[in-house]
Amino acid sequence: MPRHWHQWALILAAFGAVAVLLVLPLVLIFSQAFSQGATVVAENLTSTDMISAIKLTLIVALVTVPVNLVFGVLLAWCVTRYEFRGRKLLTTLIDIPFAMSPVVAGLCYLVVYGGQSVVGQWLDDTLGLQLMFALPGMIMVTVFVTCPYVARVLIPLMQSQGTEEEEAAILLGASGWQAFWYVTLPKIRWALLYGVVLTNARAVGEFGAVSVVSGLIRGETLTLPLLIQMLNEDYNTVGAFTAAGLLAALALITLLLKTVLEWRQRHKIDAAQEVTP
Amino acid sequence: MSIRVESIRKRFGGFTALDDINLDISDGGLVGLLGPSGSGKTTLLRIIAGLEQPDRGRVFFNDRDVTTLDARRRRVGFVFQQYALFRHLTVADNVAFGLRMLPRGERPGRDAIRARVRELLELVQMDTMSGRYPAQLSGGQKQRVALARALALKPEVLLLDEPFGALDAKVRKELRRWLRHLHEQIDVTSLFVTHDQEEAMEVSDRVVVMSQGHIEQVGTPLQVYEQPASRFVFDFLGHINALEGRYDGHQWRDGDAYLRLDTRGACPNGDLTLYLRPHEAELARQPSDSASLPVRVAGRSVFGGTVTVELEPRGWGQGILEVEVDREAWRDLDPQRDEPLFLLPRDLQTVTCDGDLGPRVRPA
Repeated sequence: MPRHWHQWALILAAFGAVAVLLVLPLVLIFSQAFSQGATVVAENLTSTDMISAIKLTLIVALVTVPVNLVFGVLLAWCVTRYEFRGRKLLTTLIDIPFAMSPVVAGLCYLVVYGGQSVVGQWLDDTLGLQLMFALPGMIMVTVFVTCPYVARVLIPLMQSQGTEEEEAAILLGASGWQAFWYVTLPKIRWALLYGVVLTNARAVGEFGAVSVVSGLIRGETLTLPLLIQMLNEDYNTVGAFTAAGLLAALALITLLLKTVLEWRQRHKIDAAQEVTP
Repeated sequence: MSIRVESIRKRFGGFTALDDINLDISDGGLVGLLGPSGSGKTTLLRIIAGLEQPDRGRVFFNDRDVTTLDARRRRVGFVFQQYALFRHLTVADNVAFGLRMLPRGERPGRDAIRARVRELLELVQMDTMSGRYPAQLSGGQKQRVALARALALKPEVLLLDEPFGALDAKVRKELRRWLRHLHEQIDVTSLFVTHDQEEAMEVSDRVVVMSQGHIEQVGTPLQVYEQPASRFVFDFLGHINALEGRYDGHQWRDGDAYLRLDTRGACPNGDLTLYLRPHEAELARQPSDSASLPVRVAGRSVFGGTVTVELEPRGWGQGILEVEVDREAWRDLDPQRDEPLFLLPRDLQTVTCDGDLGPRVRPA
């Protein structure tokens, strides 16, 4: 426990900052959404645009998260388990989506896969597939923007954990897959979960890159963040804040989920410690 | 199971870790791979286990070539230096891991696994801690769990990488004795890596001394100590004092010190280095006919049956010499600090001018 008044003051200041910077805006989102009563909220929530936006957002996240989960694990495995030329380069390249503005990423995809480009035209002619201004393009840019999260969380952890436990598993007769499943995965699961939470949060909330490639077709290519922007421009404040509240609620639920999972794990370890003297 | 290693070579980048290694380990042996860090002993162990691939050469288990056999199919027991216990599994689950990884047809039933785990934990005296996690164990306990885990699949080859390296002195001594005992109980060929001379001497039937990717000598602990094959082995096994001086055919001299010797190992130019082991000398108040090495007592440590004395040469040599004398002899002599004394070597090892070991000599 802190003993001096200035220690208490520092703690108080921290709480104050959290309240002003994080909690207050969050409270305001919900109070704005409900400013004209619950029925208006319900109306807004059940509007076709809103439902389509929710669906689209979830679809984008549902595809992005597993793709980047697998990609992130493979990449982290590759970088931490093998020695090869260009390993450093690869770890640097992973950070491109972090360093680049999402809008630029969106534009790049537009240039490469859009209707004017060679690739885009070829896809359209041979497969009749349009990537840009449609769901595939939105998923592609979201995957791009969120791809470093899982790998970035895993790489330092897997580096510090080393490979001895996996080697021990192999020497005990485990196949590579068994070693990953029974040894590596349990060691990295909390970091992995954290990476997934981050990826999901970013995938659901991504605005810049998606707005470039979405084409902003109402009821078709609007995700929740894009809808918020649209509603706000239409002076539909309640609608905008309802959608914003939905996003915020989603974020809070993921946070809660993560905390509960962590708490349960710690509880398990503590219980095991109590059993033995 | 016997292990044979033929012309193994391994390079890491520009560094040659192992250079043309040949080694034969007979069935049931307990062999210590001894060498300083960087001598290639751990690499050799990992190649035998299948964790590293040699650039050249072959590995045989009982005349069966296992060089290209996957590590998981070699069925060796391996104990890592840092134990590498699965941190998310309990002691019992760690030990059961290998049994659970067996293909469905060979895997014992649940009760059989539980019984085998209990048996192994009893063997390593850890049966009361089966529910603990590795983080809750001491170093010595982790070590024993790692050993039980390595023995779970009844391997015929047991490989241990610095098995006592991370333990404190007392636990280490206990575990060494216990490992020897265990080796006698179960039918297994054991090979362990160590940089600790005392450990290699105490635990192993045979010692393999390595340096810079080469095998310097293979022999029983007594053989490598009494008949070292090279200067490195002599140097590495225990502390030595190097006396550097000049030899004129009758006498070795360095400043005020002289020894009357008959040696054929001197260099033509007259330089002669003599190695003196700490326990192969005595202390006296007077020089002898054949030896006059004036010294001063700089410090002493009384521990056990011998007294380790630090001596400062008077008017010759450089640095501190270390000798071990019998506690009785020390009490009889009863020297004071800084009192001038004479060092009387009993046996000396000559070093030839190209750095090899020459004949052993006595002052006469």
